[in-house]
Amino acid sequence: MNLTCKDIGLRLEVENTLLEQLYNTGMKHYPNEFGGLLTGHYSEDMKTCHITGTLLPQKYKSSRYYFERGREGLLEKLEKLYHAEPRSIYVGEWHTHPDGEKGPSDTDKQAMQTISDHEEVTISCPVLLILATSPRGYTPGFYVNFKNKLYEYE
Amino acid sequence: MATDKVKHLDCVLESHKIRKEQALLDKHTAKRGEIKEALEAKYTNTLYAPFNSGSLAKNTAVNTKFDIDLMAPFKRNAFGSSGTLEDMYENVYKFLYDKYHGKEAVVRRQKVSIGLEFYADADGHVVKIDVVPGRELNQGEYLNDKRLNLYVYEQFGRFEKGADHLRSNIHAQVKHIRDRAEAERDSVRKIIRLLKVWKIGKGSGPKSFFLELITIKAFDSKTITGDIWEKLKTVLEYIRDNAKTVSLPDPGNSGNDVADTMTDSEKSWLSSDMDTMLTNIAASDDMIKSYFRINEKHPCPEEKQENRYGVKREGASNPPANRFG
Ligand SMILES: [Zn+2]
Repeated sequence: MNLTCKDIGLRLEVENTLLEQLYNTGMKHYPNEFGGLLTGHYSEDMKTCHITGTLLPQKYKSSRYYFERGREGLLEKLEKLYHAEPRSIYVGEWHTHPDGEKGPSDTDKQAMQTISDHEEVTISCPVLLILATSPRGYTPGFYVNFKNKLYEYE
Repeated sequence: MATDKVKHLDCVLESHKIRKEQALLDKHTAKRGEIKEALEAKYTNTLYAPFNSGSLAKNTAVNTKFDIDLMAPFKRNAFGSSGTLEDMYENVYKFLYDKYHGKEAVVRRQKVSIGLEFYADADGHVVKIDVVPGRELNQGEYLNDKRLNLYVYEQFGRFEKGADHLRSNIHAQVKHIRDRAEAERDSVRKIIRLLKVWKIGKGSGPKSFFLELITIKAFDSKTITGDIWEKLKTVLEYIRDNAKTVSLPDPGNSGNDVADTMTDSEKSWLSSDMDTMLTNIAASDDMIKSYFRINEKHPCPEEKQENRYGVKREGASNPPANRFG
């Protein structure tokens, strides 16, 4: 699907098959939260983010109401993607809200800001995907942290 | 360079969004609540629950002119068993006049409503609310049939001053537009909002209800597809071709023709306005800017065009561990 963040004029593209895949992965951990990294690339004019894949954490903690993603092993994989042809890079984060809303919690907003500011993160506008999941299906919410604020794509 | 009409219209709509004037909207809502309470306190046993009936209720509002209506539905015998609609109208007018006029607002008689324009506050915000008194047709029937008679204070269209046959089910009117707008996936609402922007820019024109109904009628009568400009153009053509003859039954009372709120010469003017507009825009895309103006208070930021996903430096990221909620 193609989405636009009207407030700031940035666009997002993601395949439905990837969303299906994330949903299925998330449901393996249901009713606990789960998540991981989003990988992809930006368009030449840097106005569109294409999300093409995910990297799952080796270490994590989770419950119904939180998800703590570890960082072990992820850098190696991201470096491999960076040097691959075509190149993919880290573009953001995703996690589930089992039986919840697709909107971000305050913890989520804080996390995205921390990531934007982090020295070892080379992009400045990470994307956040929240999948509101239930056994019946899922609703995705897409957000981008832009200049210290989280905006939703429509 | 020629104007991109779609982009321009998107910007017109965006710059007129209600949420860009949230503070002013909140003040309107607060005042309307206050007036509602005052009416309920004054007419304890003779008034049903006042309700909102303006464009906000219909999701067709624009932020340069809030039309905030408060319907006040009275019982049949509220002003005596032989009380007239005029008695009702004047009684409410006097109450609002005594309470607000010269103290915090200007209160005036309007076509079927009583207009309250509050003095500008420290932010320069002016709150305007129209109170529309209505009376049920028969004692005790309002809660079932929702029908009300309004008093026509000032002649408009074919309705004479003093006439009391303007009856309607305002609930049905609000619902009609809401349902319709939902089904057409926003297109109807966008066109209605653009027509309001046109009318406000021009300083005069048909009443909003007329524009709403004729837009819906256009969607019923023609195949309306394409981008926002193509849709708008089709509706403008429909109005040009049909303004003089169209019948617009009031969804609240099919016996009322809302087309009657305009005189024949007003309808002719409307048709020729549309004709001129379409001709001028066909001759030059740029003309669209003078008919459908961007609200300069909230211009679509050019900066928006400049926004990019930022990259701080080359190389792979090493995102920190993080907790999400
Ligand atoms: Zn969350």
